[in-house]
Amino acid sequence: MIILLFVVTFVVCAFAVLFGALRSRSRHAVLRPLDVGAFHALMSREDELFLREHLSRSTFFRLKRERVRLSLKYVDRIAGNAAAVIRLGEMGRNSQDPEVVASAARVSELATEIRLQCLLAFAKLGMEFAFPWMQLTPAMLAPKYQSLRENVLRLGTLQSADDGGALASAI
Amino acid sequence: MLLSSFHMPLNLVYYGAWVASIVLLGFLVAALAVKKLWKKFPIFSAYALICFLQAIITYLLRGRTAVYEYVYWPLELTGMFLGLGVVYEIFRNLFAGHSVLRKLATTIFQSCLLLLFLVGCIVMYAHAPVQGSRLAATSYVLEEGIRIIEVGVVVLLFVLSGAFGLHWRQTVFGMAFGLAIFVTIELAGISLVAHVGKTMMAAFMLARAFSFDLSLLVWLGYLLAPEQVTIESEVPQRGQLEQWNRAVKELIYQ
Repeated sequence: MIILLFVVTFVVCAFAVLFGALRSRSRHAVLRPLDVGAFHALMSREDELFLREHLSRSTFFRLKRERVRLSLKYVDRIAGNAAAVIRLGEMGRNSQDPEVVASAARVSELATEIRLQCLLAFAKLGMEFAFPWMQLTPAMLAPKYQSLRENVLRLGTLQSADDGGALASAI
Repeated sequence: MLLSSFHMPLNLVYYGAWVASIVLLGFLVAALAVKKLWKKFPIFSAYALICFLQAIITYLLRGRTAVYEYVYWPLELTGMFLGLGVVYEIFRNLFAGHSVLRKLATTIFQSCLLLLFLVGCIVMYAHAPVQGSRLAATSYVLEEGIRIIEVGVVVLLFVLSGAFGLHWRQTVFGMAFGLAIFVTIELAGISLVAHVGKTMMAAFMLARAFSFDLSLLVWLGYLLAPEQVTIESEVPQRGQLEQWNRAVKELIYQ
């Protein structure tokens, strides 16, 4: 009976994943705007230290969790944009121009790296949410994202001069 | 005989679903041949062909209990192993062109495969005796173990692609999704029959037939429908662009 219960749980989880996959596929990959400056400010450890010193423990924890929640939204947006850029890179790889193909490959690689960092960031922020006294904010994510932005700009310029700048600015 | 557990109207529904699966499999094999997709997906094509042959042969042998079991189970097991091959083919296609991710995904995939293999072995080892002939009883236990691995790896594909933000090409998504529907319902059904007993057989056979037909419709639908471009990028206003640019520069030079 234990095996049957295990299998039933396994099947229910499998259907949940399948439903999620179907839902996420129906969603379009959209590049959403991101305020990198605000994200950078949100990650500031100086602010956090100031708050830690001047607020009561419970108030600090509440505020810290609020900051983490906001940071998660930013990281989620970066992850979504990175996924859209990976898709963009795939499309660029089908180009006849070898320079576009090479640039698309670079962009995809960087976007992939960012996507992986986002996974790490989710884990770290999750830990900080659970244990607010910890300091694990992924400080490397913002510069990497900026590098991706520059590469997308380069790819966009190679593909279409008009769309390139707008696209890079959009992310 | 497996089909003896049906009442007359259910029997008709079951046979209807069976015949429908043969027709749909015929369309699927034809579509794979006409669109020359067998070159790109040789394992999936072989899987579809084996399923097609299995459906026809078992339908023709449906009245002969002794012969039926000896033909059904070897074909079923071949189909299961080919199903695992299909998952590998999907994995290869999904991660094609993502060299960095492929290495990481391969490591995760191999670790999970090993874990699922262990779970499958434990399930087979700890299994209570199953009713029926020796061949059928052994095959049920073996199938349950293999289906656990199959469902696990298909689900893992969806989890990894979601985590890495990979885009599924329409055909590949259809292959994975159709296979996932079928193997998941098959696992649930085979487990219920193996653990609860033959009282669940009629429900299982019907669910299996309909889930396979549904999978076939998914495969055909995703195979025949034109690929959709799902990327959209909205160009923001100029003032907003400049504001973002300034913010990014501040980030770089601070």
